[in-house]
Amino acid sequence: MTPMQRGTRIAGIGAFLVVVFIAVPMAIAAAHRTDLYYTLSSVALLSIASGGVWLTFYIGRINIGQGAFALVGGYVSAILVTAYGLSFWLSLPLAGLFCAAASVLVGLPILRLRGVYFAMVTLVLTEVARLSALALSVTNGAKGITSIPAPGPIGLFGLTIVPAFDTFAERNVAFYFLSVTVMALCFAGLWRLVNSRVGRLFAALRQNEDLASSMGLNVPALRVLAYAISSFLGGVGGAIFVAIAQSIYPSSFTVNDSVNFMLNCFLGGLGYVFGPMLGTLVLYFGWDLLFQTGQYQLLIYSGVMILLILLLPNGLFSLRLPSRRSS
Amino acid sequence: MAPILQVKDLTKRYGGLTAVNEVSFDVEPNEILSVIGPNGAGKSTIFKLISSFVKPTRGEVTFNGEVISGLAPHTVARKGVVRTFQETTIFKGMTARDSVIVAHHLRSHASLFGFYLGSAAARRDEADFGRSSDEILDFLGLGAVKYEIASNLPQGHLRALGIAIGLAANPKILLLDEPFAGMNADETSRAVEMVRAVRDRGVTLLLVEHDMAAVMKISDRIVVINFGVKIAEGTPAEIRANEKVIEAYLGVEDETIGL
Amino acid sequence: MEQVIANGLYLGAQYALIALGLTLIFALMNVLNFAHGQMYVLGGFVTYEVYGLLHWPFVVALVASALTLAVLGALIERFLFRTVIKRSEREESTMLLAAGVAYFLDAAILLLFGEKQRGVHKILNGVFIWDNLILPWDRILVAGLAILFIVAFILMMQFTKPGRAMRALAQDRVAAQLMGVPVAFYGLIGFALGAMLAGLVGGLLVTITGVNSGIGGPISIKAFMMVMIGGAGVVGGAIAGGFILGMLESVGLTVLHAYGDITYLAIFVALMIFLAIRPNGLMGKPWG
Repeated sequence: MTPMQRGTRIAGIGAFLVVVFIAVPMAIAAAHRTDLYYTLSSVALLSIASGGVWLTFYIGRINIGQGAFALVGGYVSAILVTAYGLSFWLSLPLAGLFCAAASVLVGLPILRLRGVYFAMVTLVLTEVARLSALALSVTNGAKGITSIPAPGPIGLFGLTIVPAFDTFAERNVAFYFLSVTVMALCFAGLWRLVNSRVGRLFAALRQNEDLASSMGLNVPALRVLAYAISSFLGGVGGAIFVAIAQSIYPSSFTVNDSVNFMLNCFLGGLGYVFGPMLGTLVLYFGWDLLFQTGQYQLLIYSGVMILLILLLPNGLFSLRLPSRRSS
Repeated sequence: MAPILQVKDLTKRYGGLTAVNEVSFDVEPNEILSVIGPNGAGKSTIFKLISSFVKPTRGEVTFNGEVISGLAPHTVARKGVVRTFQETTIFKGMTARDSVIVAHHLRSHASLFGFYLGSAAARRDEADFGRSSDEILDFLGLGAVKYEIASNLPQGHLRALGIAIGLAANPKILLLDEPFAGMNADETSRAVEMVRAVRDRGVTLLLVEHDMAAVMKISDRIVVINFGVKIAEGTPAEIRANEKVIEAYLGVEDETIGL
Repeated sequence: MEQVIANGLYLGAQYALIALGLTLIFALMNVLNFAHGQMYVLGGFVTYEVYGLLHWPFVVALVASALTLAVLGALIERFLFRTVIKRSEREESTMLLAAGVAYFLDAAILLLFGEKQRGVHKILNGVFIWDNLILPWDRILVAGLAILFIVAFILMMQFTKPGRAMRALAQDRVAAQLMGVPVAFYGLIGFALGAMLAGLVGGLLVTITGVNSGIGGPISIKAFMMVMIGGAGVVGGAIAGGFILGMLESVGLTVLHAYGDITYLAIFVALMIFLAIRPNGLMGKPWG
């Protein structure tokens, strides 16, 4: 990497952080649109889950099952907090790890499937999660889990680092900062992954699994690793989402959400790590903006989506970065 | 010297069809051994059986005295039995050099996590892989095109790249899948030189091929398969004189015998 | 017991027909048609309009459903899928398009026909009773028609020129092209035919279960399951998958009734385990 590229990159990261942590809150304050905090938190959390889906795409699997892990992550956090009185902050990584562990169990058999087979099974997986949530007693069936307390304070050596969310005048401001911080961390982690040797091994898997195994790559293990990271992200995103909503039902994440996660990745462009963020932002705001069109909302939304695919079949990022193709 | 690879009573049935039937042969260290036969004779099944991409119905393959059949393909590769593919099987979006660097994975000392964090061992590995890749690419005459996207390379270069990827995995024995298929005489003789050079690096070679002329030129020994059964084994001269072989090949139209 | 089997067969015949359309589109175009369920719903609403509201003969309604969907399928292939397949770097982009089309049809159906559950008057009255077995005549007729369509489809694929061309196309696109099969044309025909089958089943089933605008997605998921059971892209697999799912549903709803809504959970889990053992379904070819 040349110093020049390094400079551009640091400037890009700096600009991103300034926009997310300073410019957006200032703009919201100026426009008196505090409702946007909730919207933008949602975008951040959905981007995290979509980022996971993107990683499964990166190893050459079409994943339409992220809704399942978002749901499971949400339930794990909700159950730990309400039934076991655990702190939200501990439940968050546990939710992610639970999803990662579950995805290892599920992934070992189903990752042998390719193409549409894998896509179809993961779609079915979302339904399995929903039906399990309905049938099990620990998830409280169709009634779901409600009145989940807001995250408490984080203290270290008697020093309060993060105050309890209830102490904020506007709870959603706290959730906004939480969501975008986690999003920035997750995508930094993803970016590092893709640009490290691990990422190149994943790319080798996508290109040709037989060739990869012939040179000694443990293909099944690498596949499961990617899927576990993906599901971890889904679980974390789901868990924070549930904390914002303070409730979770079997229908909190459905097949539609799974499909949307996939669409976010496609729209952002599968060759770009930050594609899922852009895709989520555009799709979510597009959907919100169309709210005024009332009954025509879905028609216009899907119509525009079809047009976009026709005009830019390789994603939005392909517009901005025509020369920097995935290498 | 003890054989490096032994194939014993190898049998593979698909449903009612016996693709390979009780085939046995040994591969000596540092030799070039070719398995030949008419199309559909079961050569490629043998190839997949040895590289463990397919599990045998019966029989076994041993490498340095250790049974390798039934192991996962990447485990077999890890032990030093590495296969190549025909030219269509490469990492399409990557440059030639990146493909070879990725293929060095077996030589890494750092863990995946080390690579993720960029540990000292990982940085050392990366530097080693880069150097070694450049050496291998130069060795196979790909030095000038190493920054090209692999799928843009012409066929001859792709074949060489396949071998380069195989060499990167540090093989003791390299299995080549029809390395001369679809080549003209000129290209073939260059490829023959390349295979010889690889052997001179101390790598044992097992080829599956049906271009007889090239096989005769390059092989130390030849195993002939027909209808899934071994019908002959010996030096090129012996095979040339073998009546069963002549019969098998004359029975098939459109086959270059090159006797 | 007989009742359960009869119900399973009746359901299976419908399901097989749905799966056939889906698998045909997949085999020819390598497209997973997310919008298949919506096409089914649209077929149901066309029959509802023509037979239920206009009171024209049921046969006319069924033909109208089939034709509407055939034309719609052809248009979707010609102006959407063909373009995207040509321009996209990755073939997965067609899935995005298929999802977009599914959403679009969902929205259009909702606007055109509303969100109410719609039913039509019975096409046949009376009930067939034999021993313990009780089957309404209209169900028997609908199952019979479905089987007739399945047989007609198989005969067409086996013995007509378009059928042979489409089979060649499904087997090996490049080879078919080299043999002079007009690949683009038969892709269009195949897509239209697949959509038409979805519309036909919609038209058939509206007479029994009615139709509402929200069932497209769930029907698509069921269709995916059938195709996975039988093996994607294989005609025999689609038929087998349809009948197996129909039977499982029928048995499950009876046996597991006491436990509430777990029939589908059980079927899903069984399917996962089955696919772990047979990744390509009963008859599917290895993928990729």
